[in-house]
Amino acid sequence: MKINKIATAIGLTLALSAGANAGVLPDNQMNSNWYSAAQAKLTSKEMMANATPATKAKNVILFVGDGMGISTLTAARILAGQKQGALGEEGFLSFEEFPYSAQIKTYNVDAQTPDSAGTMTAIISGVKTDVGVIGVNEDIERGKCATVAGNELITATELAEIKGLATGIISTARITHATPAATYAKSADRNWEDISDMPEDAVTAGCEDIASQLVNFEKNLEARFAGVDVDGLEVVMGGGRRHFLPKDAAFNSNDAMSAVEGDRTDERDLTAQWQQMYSDGKYITDQAGFDKISGDTKRVFGLFNESHMQYEADRSNDIAGEPSLTQMTTKAIDILKNNEKGFFLTVESGRIDHAHHAGNAYNALNDTIEFANAVKAAVENTDPNETLILVTADHSHVFTIAGYPKRGNPILGQVVGVGRNTPTVAKDGMPYTTVGYVNGLGFRDLGNETNADASYLEKAVAGRVGLSGIDTLAPGFHQEATIPLSSETHAGEDISLHAKGPGAQLAQGVVEQNVIFHIISQALELIEE
Amino acid sequence: MKTIILSLALISPLASAAQCALDSQYVQASYQVSKQVAGKAVAESQQFTLWRTPHQVAEQGIELVEVWQQLSNQQIRPIRYFQTQQRGIEYQPSEVQGQQNWSTKYQLVSDDFIAKMTLTDEQGDGCEKIQHYQLVQGDTTIELAWLVNQKLVSAMSIGKAQLTQTLTLGTVDFKKDPIQQQFALWDAYQTTDYADIGDNEGDPFLAKMINLGFIEHGASGFYDTNGKALGGGHSH
Repeated sequence: MKINKIATAIGLTLALSAGANAGVLPDNQMNSNWYSAAQAKLTSKEMMANATPATKAKNVILFVGDGMGISTLTAARILAGQKQGALGEEGFLSFEEFPYSAQIKTYNVDAQTPDSAGTMTAIISGVKTDVGVIGVNEDIERGKCATVAGNELITATELAEIKGLATGIISTARITHATPAATYAKSADRNWEDISDMPEDAVTAGCEDIASQLVNFEKNLEARFAGVDVDGLEVVMGGGRRHFLPKDAAFNSNDAMSAVEGDRTDERDLTAQWQQMYSDGKYITDQAGFDKISGDTKRVFGLFNESHMQYEADRSNDIAGEPSLTQMTTKAIDILKNNEKGFFLTVESGRIDHAHHAGNAYNALNDTIEFANAVKAAVENTDPNETLILVTADHSHVFTIAGYPKRGNPILGQVVGVGRNTPTVAKDGMPYTTVGYVNGLGFRDLGNETNADASYLEKAVAGRVGLSGIDTLAPGFHQEATIPLSSETHAGEDISLHAKGPGAQLAQGVVEQNVIFHIISQALELIEE
Repeated sequence: MKTIILSLALISPLASAAQCALDSQYVQASYQVSKQVAGKAVAESQQFTLWRTPHQVAEQGIELVEVWQQLSNQQIRPIRYFQTQQRGIEYQPSEVQGQQNWSTKYQLVSDDFIAKMTLTDEQGDGCEKIQHYQLVQGDTTIELAWLVNQKLVSAMSIGKAQLTQTLTLGTVDFKKDPIQQQFALWDAYQTTDYADIGDNEGDPFLAKMINLGFIEHGASGFYDTNGKALGGGHSH
């Protein structure tokens, strides 16, 4: 009785309080667009909270922006808006409008600041592991072939394959690079991309290089689990052709840049082996080949570059042409949709990370915008009631947005303060850019160079440089860095997870990176009890 | 008689004024680089070897080898080999217009730079034909002795009031097989894309490289006062 009276009293107080507050809210506040827009957002969130969301998905698409930290998202959204003539800050990248998100802790088992091998292994297998190793747990010793056996993890890609779903992997990096490799390979070292990259004792001990594991994915999976019969990856698209071809000019493709394109020293042509295994598949190396792939193609193996694919801004410089991340994503969905049981697709934008390593914000942000375009295409080409789309990163970078630029100031520009029209100068009398790096190679003024990696031809330039008269908005401008290093580094801060579709509501709070696997697994019911 | 002389001229690599039968696309040439500072009795010197095939050039020093490959799209890709470690770093070719000049790599001095110089003398015939050029830029005098039919620098000097740098050709060989074998030997080294170095700081070799910082100049060490490669190429 006493409790009921207290509850009633509290209820009355809250009701009076709410009414009283509404009365004191001034018109200028209530009529503010900021106020009404935020209130509308809350209303939509209340509706979402009251609904009973679906938990099981037919399809899952996992997008990974390599090195796409929070500051990269903020700067990319501003740049995207400014490219459209807006001020920029008010906009959203496509996936930032997803209803659910979480904050992700990225550290590796043995490292405060992680690398892609350890983080992607966590994302795709549910188990955190060490830096530099692929698809194996922390009991591995990096570079020691003998420690692989018994420590292999199974990935969401493999579980989806066993369940009978269509599966695909896309990356703008080499398809054997750490992030995509973690979906299909088990390796004591991320750098064992082909047999020529491996120490002889590892080869002798029977460890298989990553490229070979990709081509033998079906065979290896069936060998690991007795009675399992799978049909292999339906979509593989990315760079890294050199790891699949023999070191012999006779095997060069029409897109070859080097005199000898292939790196393999075992004389195996893995592209030919793949075509022998999958007579219903299409092996392609360029834009023309890509354009010929129709939606009813059974499977596709696209290797569009010797090494990494081009930065989006640099794509027109490719020898034989290569598709954008958006084009690859759309094509992959068209093909994977043909499986009535559903599909699991992993899409990596691998070169955001590389541009940051090169200290070039232009390409990092431009590739992030293209990544957001690819997510948008995925949303538009799938049924929201049956497709869970997850967008995350593997780790962050030491990329900062600093100073006090006025609203709408070009995000790649020099800081111009509120109410000012000329650049703000620092204590050293020189202007400075809004975005910059804590470490790395530092300043370069390479003008219209659209390849961020061209910066490596010059030695590191630490600290401050006079920027007057320099176009910091140009593709070839590389931001200043405080600590001179041969390559800008990853950062240890948390990254984000954005989610939309059945099961997306489980993306919330601050969670370990390996939780992402469980969100995928739950939605697709990959592990039947 | 006339016929015999003509035949001899065609088969002799040294005889014809207009022809040089040497395949100077394949070269192994040793050079000495000296720096003489005014007031110092002893000049500093170092040696390097220039290796080249039609689409690859290497400058080999004691530890370091810098290779430039002319790619199918005419871009130039630098690769830096560390001979002790038998490792290499591959760089991305630059796409900036005007930054690439294959002749700078191939013959140490670019065709464009030679075209700016004044021909002061010409001697010899065939493969041994040598042209002498001079260029004065402010307080700097550049002199070049150019084996025009071998596309090789015989000697070059950059003289200023306080510093004189000289480049002098020593032995030279045009045997294709050993030259190709040397390039194949370097090619067998384990290489890393520079773009991947940031992800590989656990690699002792790459970590050492990161800690040491970038090695500014290659084997020749023959650069002008602005750090530009001799002959007007881009710095590296």
